[in-house]
Amino acid sequence: MSQTVYVLGAGAHPWGKWPNKTQLELALHALSGALGEADVSWNDVEAVVAASSRFEGGMGWGLHANEIVQAVAEKGMSCVNVGGACAAGAIAFHTAHAMIASGEHEVVCVVGAERMPKGFIPRPPGSQDDVTDEDYLRWVAMGATNPAYWAIEAHRRMHELGTSEETLARAAVLMRRNAVGNSLARFRTATQIDEVLASAMVADPLHLLQICPVSDGAAALVLGSEAWMKRNGGTGVKVAGCAIATGSFGDPARRIPTIASPVRDGVVHTSEVANAVAGAFAMAGMEPKDIDLLEMADNTAWHILAWPEQFGFFAPGESDVMLERGELDIGGRLPINPSGGFLSFGEATTAQAVLQICEVSWQLRGRAEGHQVPDARVGLTAVLGLGANGGSVLLSR
Amino acid sequence: MLDDVIIPVADGLFEVGAEGVQLIGTHCTACQSVYFPRSLSCRNPDCRAKTVETTLLPREGTLVSYTVQRYRPPPLFRVDDWEPYAIGLVRLDYEQTLEVMGILSGVPLDAIRIGTRVRVVAHPLYDDERNTVMTYAFTANEVSA
Repeated sequence: MSQTVYVLGAGAHPWGKWPNKTQLELALHALSGALGEADVSWNDVEAVVAASSRFEGGMGWGLHANEIVQAVAEKGMSCVNVGGACAAGAIAFHTAHAMIASGEHEVVCVVGAERMPKGFIPRPPGSQDDVTDEDYLRWVAMGATNPAYWAIEAHRRMHELGTSEETLARAAVLMRRNAVGNSLARFRTATQIDEVLASAMVADPLHLLQICPVSDGAAALVLGSEAWMKRNGGTGVKVAGCAIATGSFGDPARRIPTIASPVRDGVVHTSEVANAVAGAFAMAGMEPKDIDLLEMADNTAWHILAWPEQFGFFAPGESDVMLERGELDIGGRLPINPSGGFLSFGEATTAQAVLQICEVSWQLRGRAEGHQVPDARVGLTAVLGLGANGGSVLLSR
Repeated sequence: MLDDVIIPVADGLFEVGAEGVQLIGTHCTACQSVYFPRSLSCRNPDCRAKTVETTLLPREGTLVSYTVQRYRPPPLFRVDDWEPYAIGLVRLDYEQTLEVMGILSGVPLDAIRIGTRVRVVAHPLYDDERNTVMTYAFTANEVSA
């Protein structure tokens, strides 16, 4: 059997730096918001699926769902903890969706909560630290930071498609403009092209204001079956499509942390995410023209231009024109990240993909106060995680 | 340089032969794919045999893209006399395309051009107690003015 799943409620803790709150407190704040919007009590919840963080909480074993349940509702419910690095939130959502769609459960919570360490993300313990370990080689052999990977892609785009520095700056300006109206975002002041280009050069051609920093934050969702929703008189947003995927052989992307890739003709760039998006479209029976807004992982300004093309929204190079014409703005043809995106939030790794889905659900309910896309009916999310993890969710009302 | 012995920053990353520096990779004799660094298997899903062997990769290639790192990376990247430097993405001269990242050595930061022909060289990182520890890098075959 397969039953239709709805997002009944969404909640989030504002993004920022929260030195006086634990990861668990951030998670509980987000869950409380989601349960409140759904008008669901812990007694109705049958399972919690958490995105496992490697930074804080989870008893050091990634047991974040168990920690939450032991803190707020010991009632025998199922706990699932999933890994997926920065895509873990989307994989948690996909798992929760399957638990309901299969008929096993009726109400399941999804949560991702993160407190990020300061500065560069440290290497995890237990690494090989030899020639078989590419995340070791990328540091010792060339010191390749994450922005260096994205910068290499940005330069390639400038060379192949003629993207200008101004257009890359304009993408960052758009994200910050969208965030002005979003109380959950961390950076809420508008910026200008001159200011972006005057910010410190980190890795040519990317400046500081074109690269997402790291933040603390949490987001949660309550999912329910259609039958449960109707019995209990709730309202929800339909999960029309959801998929997770990994990469394709021959992908031309510079995938972190690899230092080399076999490249084959005809393979889509960032294939793990493009494959997930294609899966979500297929499940929903929809295509790019059906989408009213896209919430995607903008680790840099380059992503805002490249990803919509990789997903089939635009032809190669066309994003630049769309951006310049205002078609990617709230109110444009394809609003991208009306939330303000990673550039305005800073990435709270495991929470970020859950937040994207929260944002789309609020947009479709008309509750995106201050940054509402007019008459949004269908929205798509897309996220990338280490290890070639891609996730995408398509919601409709 | 303290010694003329070349110490690679990671054993098995590259070797120095009579003709120069070569990266050590893996070749699949079944589907002809090549990998760098060495790989345990062949990740081409269409390849069933997955018969892999260690191989030395072509020394020359073409610069596909690059960046200049303006901030010093974390301490795992050990280097004496740090200053901003370039990392390039190079398509090696091989039948099956392999794109490899590496430091660009001996190329002025304002003279890097996509499409430049490059070759693999050894590049000093830091002096250890007895030796100079080296990484591989790419340098322009002909440095333009």
